Amino acid sequence: MTYKNKKMKNKIINFSSRDLLFAIDYEKKMNLDQLFDLNSKYNFLKKKNNDLLKIKIENEIISDRFLRVENVIDQTKNKFKFISLDFSYSFKKDVFKGRVSIIQKKENIIDIIFQLAGKWNNKIPKKTTLIFPFLRNLNNDKNFLKPGHVFSGKRSIKKSVWNFHEYPPAIITNNSNNVAVGIEFFDQFPWQSNYNLGMHEAILKNDFDHYESEIQLNRDLSDVITMRLYTSSKGRNEIFHLWKENTRNRYDLRKYFRPKNTWIKKNYITHFTFAYGKEIFDYKKTKLNIKKIIKDGKEFGGYDSLIFWHQYPRLGLDNTNQWDLYKYLPEELKTIKKIVKECHKNGIKFFIPFKPWDVRSNESLDYHAKSLEYFVTQTNIDGFFLDTMSSLPDSFLKIQKKFPSFEFASEGTPKEQRQIEQLTSSWDQIGDIRRNYKVEVEANMFRFVFPEHPLNLVSRWSVGSDKDAIIKRAAFNGTGLVIWQDVFGCWLPFSKNQKKVIKQLKNILNKFHDIIFGSNSTPLIDTLSAGLICNLFCNNGNQKIFAIYNFTKKKISGPFFKIEPKNNIKIRQIFGTNSSMQLKKIKKEQAVYGTINADDVVLVHIKY
Amino acid sequence: MKSIQNNKIFIDSSEYNYRVAHLTLEGTCSLDHGPKNVNIKNLYVDKYPVTNQQFLFFIKSTGYKPADPQRFLAHNPNKIKNNYPVVCVSQYDAMHYAKWVGGRLPTDEEWQYIAAGPNYLEWPWGDTFDPLVCNHDHSALTPVNAHKKGASWCGCEDLSGNAWEWTSGVYDDGEHKFALIRGGSFFYAQDHWHVGGGARKNNYHWKLQLLNEGMNRASTLGFRCVYDV
Repeated sequence: MTYKNKKMKNKIINFSSRDLLFAIDYEKKMNLDQLFDLNSKYNFLKKKNNDLLKIKIENEIISDRFLRVENVIDQTKNKFKFISLDFSYSFKKDVFKGRVSIIQKKENIIDIIFQLAGKWNNKIPKKTTLIFPFLRNLNNDKNFLKPGHVFSGKRSIKKSVWNFHEYPPAIITNNSNNVAVGIEFFDQFPWQSNYNLGMHEAILKNDFDHYESEIQLNRDLSDVITMRLYTSSKGRNEIFHLWKENTRNRYDLRKYFRPKNTWIKKNYITHFTFAYGKEIFDYKKTKLNIKKIIKDGKEFGGYDSLIFWHQYPRLGLDNTNQWDLYKYLPEELKTIKKIVKECHKNGIKFFIPFKPWDVRSNESLDYHAKSLEYFVTQTNIDGFFLDTMSSLPDSFLKIQKKFPSFEFASEGTPKEQRQIEQLTSSWDQIGDIRRNYKVEVEANMFRFVFPEHPLNLVSRWSVGSDKDAIIKRAAFNGTGLVIWQDVFGCWLPFSKNQKKVIKQLKNILNKFHDIIFGSNSTPLIDTLSAGLICNLFCNNGNQKIFAIYNFTKKKISGPFFKIEPKNNIKIRQIFGTNSSMQLKKIKKEQAVYGTINADDVVLVHIKY
Repeated sequence: MKSIQNNKIFIDSSEYNYRVAHLTLEGTCSLDHGPKNVNIKNLYVDKYPVTNQQFLFFIKSTGYKPADPQRFLAHNPNKIKNNYPVVCVSQYDAMHYAKWVGGRLPTDEEWQYIAAGPNYLEWPWGDTFDPLVCNHDHSALTPVNAHKKGASWCGCEDLSGNAWEWTSGVYDDGEHKFALIRGGSFFYAQDHWHVGGGARKNNYHWKLQLLNEGMNRASTLGFRCVYDV
């Protein structure tokens, strides 16, 4: 049905989904009059003046008196619900056209789309910014949780990191937390000038109330903001899964499930083997002592792989390239072949690095692919570590056709879709020596969106308590680690106790692999005591692992998290200082209680 | 070109304020970079880096064969390149040669004094970089006497650019062994992750982490000798 503005008597459109009701009033301005949860009648918009949009030209906000709503489509009775309002503003000889649409194609996913066009009087564009008052009001709701945040008392604090171009939603809930709405600003390609306008970053910031997004208007309508709403009546834990499922739908993840590459999934502990040091090099015999490395690794539970490193910091001393430099090792390539053989005998895989910064003007990536192929033939190495990179050049992919078990791992976690699809393992690298970096225990969102992508956590310069924090962070996220003790000539070893804890963690990752890397894992689930954050690991089976972190400076005793009220639940702490875990009933629900030290991580295994 | 032999320059003893200031890619140089006073004793220093001709004569005279010959003289020294600096020699090879001629490798402090002198010059020839008086950012080595205007205060030539030069120290920090090399070379690699090449300032040394002899030799790395008085 299409209605012309003049014929409309009641200028309010109601749009109801399974969980939500929107009411848009366009009588005098375009106002989101109501947005409430249909079940509990909780109104998410507490304040008045919930304008959908304000346009600011240079320093002047266009007044609503210039607004004309020209066309309204109301198809809220259809299976796929849809409304749209076409509007225009004539302001100082400039003309702006726009459209606001709401579309519902799935019962729990709703898109709100803003489109705009501009016709400049003298064809010279003016600085144009957009303001979204209704979003500011939502952002101020006490139940509004910024993306990747948790509530600590009444405060919302960031306890996650995501370093890829998929952005988890902000979440708003009703008072009982049963109904939750996720708000996503999809923005996979950050260089699009006119699309979503950095909203995913803006909404993270504390000064979102003052955020104005700049836009370059075209003559024809173009998308400027697409808000995707995910709704759930099971609380905010489910919003992550709705978003994750919707996000992963676009991805081709077949490369992660090649039968010959299963070893990379269990590459929990990788050793950065810096050649120029006593960790591997025997200066008396002037030989690489692989047996020593393998023996030393047992203290960490055994290395799953080594990344052999001798090109840096040496390349550039003369014109020798990264491949020729292997000729100058003792016995040239034979030495690599021998140590690879010894590694394989001990169940350890062997990587060599690729240095993209050493690709000379007379070298192509195809040349390097051929060099790699020759190297694999000569030495039987298992993988190529992509130094400084977070993507996999197409030229290298051919290797896997000839050597199906060959793997690639990159220093940076891949960020964009194609890279994530192609590059099936990477480091999770954090830290910076120059900025007083403190290792934080926080949820790594990438790891939960793509649990099939193995990560090895590393913060190369961290020492002391920061090294403890690395291990806790790995335990909290269920990731592997890089054991990097010789940082290009700086000896930064793990302590005996740290080695012991890493060994324990490796055993847990191995024993509970299917649960920890399960596809139903959820970051930052609701906890029952302030000061705790919790990641949940699970697949479709009857076991779960909860990783709990006390981020405060005080011991916390009390309820940790709720679990389904079932009979015969077995609960067991598998990592961290003894927390005296026990099940208690609260009315009809069950919760896990315990005591957790300040700045400590514990893992709890639950079997139903 | 006339061959160069027995060119030695006398350096008077002096107290010298040693200070090294340079960027290290990652990690640290692990040494005291000063400023600190050091005593330079009376010594003679080679006017030029040791040449191919000189080194080949050493081999011919002594039958020197390194225990590990990997990459030893891999640059193929020949008659045409007699007066070029010998390269592809390890610190160990260089020490053997120096001992044979009655000298030794300069310490890191001595090398800097020979280059910078009592006036603490930034470059051997003065305080301003001049790529025309040294072999900097070129495609190959040049004869050791090709840049007379690049001579240092005491008359030593070819200190900066052309080929890096070994100094005498072998350092062991408990986990690693390394040496210090000086002067830079003609080769100037493209990226900031590469060893900083080209001609280098007087107060710059590179921490060369030692491995087997094949890795300790490079086609841009030679040496000169000093002689105690």
